Amino acid sequence: MNARISIPCIDVQGRRSYPPRVSAFTQTFWNSLAQGGWMTTCCQNCQKQTFPPKPVCPHCWSPRVDWSELSAHGTLYSWTRIHAAPTAFASEAPYAVGIVDLDSNIRLACRLVERPSIDFKPGMPMEMVVLKFEDGPLFAARPLSTG
Amino acid sequence: MTRRVAIIGTSAIPIGRHQTSDDAEIQTLEHEIMTRLVIEAVSDAGVEKKDIQSLVFTLPRPYTRQKYFHTFLMGQLRLSCRGSVMEVMGNGMTAALAFDQACNDILLGRANVALALGINMESAVSAAEHAMSSMRTTGDVDFHTSAGFTPISWYAMDATRYMHEYGATREHLAAVAVKNRHHASLNPLAQYRKPVTLEEVVAQRPIVEPLGLYDVPPRGDGAACLVLASEDVARSLGRPYALVRGRGFFHDGSHQINDVPNNMIGFEAARQASATAYAQADITPGDIDLAELYAPCTIVEILVSEALGLCPTGGGAQAAFDGETRLGGRIPISTSGGLTSRGHPAYVTSLYNYVELAEQLRGKAGARQVKNARLGLATGELGNYNAALIHILEAMQ
Repeated sequence: MNARISIPCIDVQGRRSYPPRVSAFTQTFWNSLAQGGWMTTCCQNCQKQTFPPKPVCPHCWSPRVDWSELSAHGTLYSWTRIHAAPTAFASEAPYAVGIVDLDSNIRLACRLVERPSIDFKPGMPMEMVVLKFEDGPLFAARPLSTG
Repeated sequence: MTRRVAIIGTSAIPIGRHQTSDDAEIQTLEHEIMTRLVIEAVSDAGVEKKDIQSLVFTLPRPYTRQKYFHTFLMGQLRLSCRGSVMEVMGNGMTAALAFDQACNDILLGRANVALALGINMESAVSAAEHAMSSMRTTGDVDFHTSAGFTPISWYAMDATRYMHEYGATREHLAAVAVKNRHHASLNPLAQYRKPVTLEEVVAQRPIVEPLGLYDVPPRGDGAACLVLASEDVARSLGRPYALVRGRGFFHDGSHQINDVPNNMIGFEAARQASATAYAQADITPGDIDLAELYAPCTIVEILVSEALGLCPTGGGAQAAFDGETRLGGRIPISTSGGLTSRGHPAYVTSLYNYVELAEQLRGKAGARQVKNARLGLATGELGNYNAALIHILEAMQ
């Protein structure tokens, strides 16, 4: 399906430091993300969304799952800035990562994108973005622009 | 009457940098260390070679060249057994599981004497290179590792959240590191023994904000051996022993992060597992005399002390700052020096925690001795404490 929700895309030079694997199942997510789509699986039986997307509902174990849209906005639950990075990420350090509670009641963890002169703080409103690297996308979050 | 299990003997090498690099002319060999430790622990226990019927090893790191280390060591010692011989693995819970499994073999009647033992060598591998492996152990390797998370980055996020919710400061967290270093200064097995000040801890370079170098565990190598026995055997030896009084386990059904928003810093698994262990021992948290926590970072010790009911929720940082968790305080925590100063050779870390409890409960802790220590508690964990394994031990004279 084509997700109606579209999140901002940011072009990033270079390749992803540790690219995710893509399966026949998760390619729906990654291909959509590459186009700015933002979605996950939702159980047809118990109606619950889960993230990352899963082929079986972790709540009721039904295999009847559909793709559905995620909220593009949420709240920062917590964050850190990693200075001591694994070899693959050393050239990016220091970099910020965080936990975001989406408005649709899904908690996820991702890279954070800095905005000039805005400090990360738990409770602040966030928006999801796509980081478009040369070899594919990653999802991330940044402080919601108040301007 | 149901069988009960006791720790009757221990041995360990001081935690430090023991691993040699691949090009060193003279190498440190794991089995040479381990065989000596077995002899030492069995001698401490006062049992004989033929009494040992089960051995549960912690999985060595992939950097250990000798594979099938557990059965290799059986050959080195010419030990024949009827119970079990195995290596167990559960990341940070590995050593707690080895202890638990050795207990099980005694409880099931497969052995009257069992060893829980292992060696963790990793310090010759750089932190950045080691992190290439450890980053794949937390969260989803495709959806999380791709963002650059490391194991301690999750604890850093616990710290950020805790400081946000309860107004704790870096100094509050740092108090745990200062206290643990003081404890370590009294422990010959500890890796870092030179006392540090609050100012020095806060001034360290950031590793994962807001945690600095002294808030996170050092890297080091270690090896330890515990001798466990049925209570009948323990009693027959006529020496003090540490009896396992309660055991609790809980896995909260999430891996690293719960996609249904919850109170991440509540450490529900430690809360539930400890409730089970307290009930089994028929005690309350207030009865505990000391606790050896699996707490890789300063913040983790605070959160676990709260989840176990040793400190009020949101009050763990203040309790540490006020000295309540120091030797001589209301409830001494990490009298060994904890993971931040005694050291954290992860796969055997909990073995050192049981060694400390056994020394304290047998009155052999020297300058670190908690007066009249009767009940001690140890924890092991998975992920961001998504699972906890807890044991309560009692001093028996």
